[in-house]
Amino acid sequence: MNDSTVIQFMVIAIGAGTPLVYAAIGEILAERGGVMNLGVEGMMLVGAVTAYWATAETGSTWLGVAAGAMAGMAMASLHAFLSVTLRANQIVSGIALVILGTGIAAYLGSAGPKLVDRPSGGTFEPILSGGLADLPVVGPLVFGHDLLVYGSWAVVALASWYLFRTRSGLQLRAVGEDPATADASGIPVARIRYVHVLIGGAGAGVAGAYLTLALFGSWSEELSNGTGWIAIALVIFSAWRPVRALVAAYLFGALTSLGFNLQLLEVPIPLDLLAILPFVMTLVALMVVSNLPSARRFGAPAALAEPYWREQR
Amino acid sequence: MSATAEAPPAAPERRRWSRGNGITVEPRVRAPLALQALVSAGSVLGALLVAAALLAASGNAPLSVYESMVDSSFGTPLAFSQTLIQATPLILTSLAAAVAYRMRIWTIGADGQFLIGAVAASGIALKLGADAPALVVIVASLAAGALGGAAWAAIAGAGRGYLRTNEVISTLMLNFIALGFVSYLIFGSGSFWRDPTSATQPLGKPIATNAQLPGLFEFADIGILLAVGVAVLAWAALRWTRWAFELRVVGSAPRAARYAGIDVPRKILSVMCASGALAGVAGAIVVCNVTEALDPRGLDPGLGYGYTGIVVAALARLSVVGIVPVAILVAALLSAGPALELTGVPNAVVVVLQGLILLLVAAGQFFLVYRVRRV
Repeated sequence: MNDSTVIQFMVIAIGAGTPLVYAAIGEILAERGGVMNLGVEGMMLVGAVTAYWATAETGSTWLGVAAGAMAGMAMASLHAFLSVTLRANQIVSGIALVILGTGIAAYLGSAGPKLVDRPSGGTFEPILSGGLADLPVVGPLVFGHDLLVYGSWAVVALASWYLFRTRSGLQLRAVGEDPATADASGIPVARIRYVHVLIGGAGAGVAGAYLTLALFGSWSEELSNGTGWIAIALVIFSAWRPVRALVAAYLFGALTSLGFNLQLLEVPIPLDLLAILPFVMTLVALMVVSNLPSARRFGAPAALAEPYWREQR
Repeated sequence: MSATAEAPPAAPERRRWSRGNGITVEPRVRAPLALQALVSAGSVLGALLVAAALLAASGNAPLSVYESMVDSSFGTPLAFSQTLIQATPLILTSLAAAVAYRMRIWTIGADGQFLIGAVAASGIALKLGADAPALVVIVASLAAGALGGAAWAAIAGAGRGYLRTNEVISTLMLNFIALGFVSYLIFGSGSFWRDPTSATQPLGKPIATNAQLPGLFEFADIGILLAVGVAVLAWAALRWTRWAFELRVVGSAPRAARYAGIDVPRKILSVMCASGALAGVAGAIVVCNVTEALDPRGLDPGLGYGYTGIVVAALARLSVVGIVPVAILVAALLSAGPALELTGVPNAVVVVLQGLILLLVAAGQFFLVYRVRRV
């Protein structure tokens, strides 16, 4: 039963969706504070290459994840400085971050001893084998994952609780909706924005680490292939809500892995066309969602992508 | 206010932001042209400095790397000609970005429009075949490229105009879709574009030489003149046409534009189509003159002309005239990439430089919008 195609399909979908979860939650937190960081793809790539390198050096996958998160934060700090302190155009700054991250990751991957040829220092494997993981259906779906998948569930729960049930979360949302009012009530707008852009960077970095340390187990330049951009689209679909982002991430994980599965079933659809399916679906979904009558009600934080300056009226 | 108040007025009423560290930041009315040039030059220099640190850290001598870059893009007539060939599509994709960004439409879809333009142009050129008159093939393929690019851009343009879809993400998705489509045409199917005689490795069908632009002395081909001509036309159109005036209104005050009776969604669609047509022509030129076949790998090397166009447009501060020299400069960077690879320096350093330049241009904007003063 657990070997059935449907179950296998869902397991692969969860794996493919996990980097999307980390990246999207990070981006939700940044955007809730009013900073749009389009650089997810770049931060993710740098996180991926750093995590792979750190794990190959130390043999510890956890140090790899930590290094990936730090690398993502380092990239995000550039965006934070530009968009919060220098009030730069966040779209341009984000695109710059993608280009820079792509370049740095490719450079680090090919300079010196080529990372591509380096054996992996370890990967994340499912923590339970046998026992609970052999239960029908729930076994593979609930108990058959590696720790980073469980970590992503915890992150979703934590982010949801933080955003909607804590004072800091309320302050974050206030900063994203109306920074002038938040500022007037004594909330440190700039500091909150910095912190959450950095958290977003950490999320993208961990997402990258998941790509090299769990999903693929190796490094290649094309490894993220648009994952970061889909994560940004997921933030919109999820209306800036963590739990919905989790569901949407698994749906898109399913789409990404659909090609692989249809090939297993020997369905005669060209692989190149299946590979673009997630992008077509993202585009269609984006067009539908943006035109929903509820889009205004559940829409973006009001001050999204707008720099705040106390003196400006 | 009471009439008996005799306290002298406090500090002069000036909008000013101070952290008490002796520095104030005030908005500028307008940035002098020299300062704009300084910020652009500073961005390039800064990027070269940071990249030098990266190069040094990985055991390469930055100065000799930069020297070999200059050599391989300007050193010989042949090298310079290569640079001009790279600059031709780059001028067009930069114009594509600048035209849209001036209207605050943040498309990053030039890459996909470039590819679809190449598909359309190569399709027409292959269909007409080697026996058709050169002029007919050239005009038809350029027109097909423009149409293909415009049609691809229209998807995102209609989405933004009529459905309020975020154009940054929609154009990006369209880039990935276009890339997948081109690779399907060559690698995944026995399409019209694929060469049936190449059995071992999938290749595009070769395009006959009658689709190629005529040469220009010993330098490159007339493509560069064509691109400069388009830039001049774009400059004139943006300056003197009613269309461009209305676009400016839409860009700076969409609500005012609506009240003035301008059809805003339609304007957005039209500017996206214009932007897509420019990128599509770039694709047509590259597919007919450089790769001479629809080649998913060689068509759009490195970062891609579309994305690089964004860097050029930003560096030229969206000035249509400024784009031409800046594009030639950045094209030099691109054409130096392969030569670098030979010396053992990863080509990726070129992409790093582009990212740094764009980041620094975005940062430098601060000094154009605000004046930082000591008090």
